[in-house]
Amino acid sequence: MDVGSVSTKGVVLDSNGEIIAAEYLWTEGDPVTATKKTVLSLQKQLPASASIRSVGTTGSARKLIGAMLEADSVKNEITAHAKGTLSRHPDVRTILEIGGQDSKIILIDNGVVIDYAMNTLCAAGTGAFLSSQAKRLGIPVEELGDMALQAGHPARIAARCTVFAESDMVHKAQAGYAKEDLVAGLCDAIVANYLNNVGKGKRIESPVVFQGGVSKNRGVVRAFQAELGSEIHVDADSHLMGAVGAALLSRGAVRAKPFECAIVDLCFQTRAHTCPGCANHCEIISFYRDGVLLDSWGNRCEKGRAAEERKEDYLTASRNTGRAWKI
Amino acid sequence: MTIGLPRALLYYRYQHLWNTFFTELGCRTITSPETSQEILSQGIARSGGECCLPEKLFLGHVHSLIGRCDFILVPRFKTAGKNTEFCVRFWGIPDIVRNSFPEAPLIGYSLQEQIRGNERQGFVRMGQFLGYSSAQSLRAYRMAAEEQRRQDELAVLRQQELFSTEGLKILIASQPYLIHDAYVGRPLVRMLREQGGTPVFADRCERSSCRAFAGSISSDLYWVLNQEVIGAIPLMKEKVDGALLITAFPCGTDSIVNELVLRRVRDLPITQIVLDEQQGEAGLRTRVECFMDILSERKRAHAG
Repeated sequence: MDVGSVSTKGVVLDSNGEIIAAEYLWTEGDPVTATKKTVLSLQKQLPASASIRSVGTTGSARKLIGAMLEADSVKNEITAHAKGTLSRHPDVRTILEIGGQDSKIILIDNGVVIDYAMNTLCAAGTGAFLSSQAKRLGIPVEELGDMALQAGHPARIAARCTVFAESDMVHKAQAGYAKEDLVAGLCDAIVANYLNNVGKGKRIESPVVFQGGVSKNRGVVRAFQAELGSEIHVDADSHLMGAVGAALLSRGAVRAKPFECAIVDLCFQTRAHTCPGCANHCEIISFYRDGVLLDSWGNRCEKGRAAEERKEDYLTASRNTGRAWKI
Repeated sequence: MTIGLPRALLYYRYQHLWNTFFTELGCRTITSPETSQEILSQGIARSGGECCLPEKLFLGHVHSLIGRCDFILVPRFKTAGKNTEFCVRFWGIPDIVRNSFPEAPLIGYSLQEQIRGNERQGFVRMGQFLGYSSAQSLRAYRMAAEEQRRQDELAVLRQQELFSTEGLKILIASQPYLIHDAYVGRPLVRMLREQGGTPVFADRCERSSCRAFAGSISSDLYWVLNQEVIGAIPLMKEKVDGALLITAFPCGTDSIVNELVLRRVRDLPITQIVLDEQQGEAGLRTRVECFMDILSERKRAHAG
């Protein structure tokens, strides 16, 4: 499972590492529900005789979903993407990845990750930017890529910052540019932004593999090709590579019994509360399955779980004393 | 008489000097509590738009000391030896504090180390200002300087013991006031330990060697605090598996110096992490995890 901010991806691999079931859907701000839907869809695609030997999670909700699915491995996106991609392209040197809110570059030498970079404080040059601009132009985001390929003269759009890129695009639109040219300009802007921010100072060696949701946009692929002057590989499963990597990373785990898809039908709840332990006022998330605490996190100190236990104590105590717990 | 020490900026460098000096004189010292959300918010509220994160922290700590002591120590730091300078924020901090907190009673000295005996003079004046004789003040300063030197040596020795332990050693090239801050830097250190790494701090490496080694990265660099941090990289590179460059947004000197390091140091895996007042933990964790993965893969590849 690769549960990202925008989309949730799930795959089931057979013992040869081939994808035998896959699902891709929108997270819509609710990773638990998205995971439920994904797992149930995967289950439907599997033969009844299949048994799931291990579970791995990655993506920004990896911890939450890892606790939910009792995952054998919970790994960061960079390691997962590298693992997944190496299983398909053992000779890859550079992975470009543009997702919903994250963009990354991973440099590989001899099958080992040697360097990486992620976008820092801003989401410029990510899928979120393309989606919002597509909406502004009234074009479904899925169609942007093909439209860009029809451009005769791509508009030049400032790429340093999303906000300026947007005002630049509005300006060009009002000046009379065709939509195709604007869209192609956006694709170029994404690539320029990515190479100037995320790829800054990195040596991009071939073979180059491009992944993440935005890799489905052929306009962006073409822009990368033009800018880097090298072939860009985009796998048919490029959007699933994080999930494939997570699955591969979990391989070899020793489980007492196979994973039961039905686990997602249990009642999962998260509760947020502010830890009263000190002046930091950490917001702690506690994760429950059928009312039983599975895990809690969000604390800046080691008190996380302890704070939760204290809360239980406090609740008992407050029942006796009549004082209320502030949540 | 009680002297308040803000637990920020150069407190992490001079705490023994300050504490010993005032207690030897017969004053009491109190140190502001560890940074918390509360202290940071107060600091942000009292800062102008141009302040950097460590400055905001400093103001928060000053705020927490007001009303709890007779004087708050806010020294001015300009230079430390020939051809070196502190970042201008350290030059201006007493003025910034005075403007942000007109009600705060301040005490301080001005450090210009290229003038011989300048630090000593400053301390004697502080002692006299507090009503002690120059002989008493001088004695207290000598004790304090000795204590600071002793503690610095001890910190270096303690860190050296770490190298006999197993596991990945990560050099943390960071200003001490960032990485040792309970709210800003320490969660990162905790994550690193959780991932099985042993942090090695640049500020606990021998200072004069660091300064000398900094020359191999840049001979023109005159910001003394940056010299000491980046000098630890060539100094320690044989002993550590990788280095983390830690900076706070928006640090002027780091933005130039770290870029230089990333371009010039090619024989050690290095990554930069930018800390920020509103950083969620998730992004930080991903970066630390991934860096640790790279280092352990590398080690495995070398061993195999």
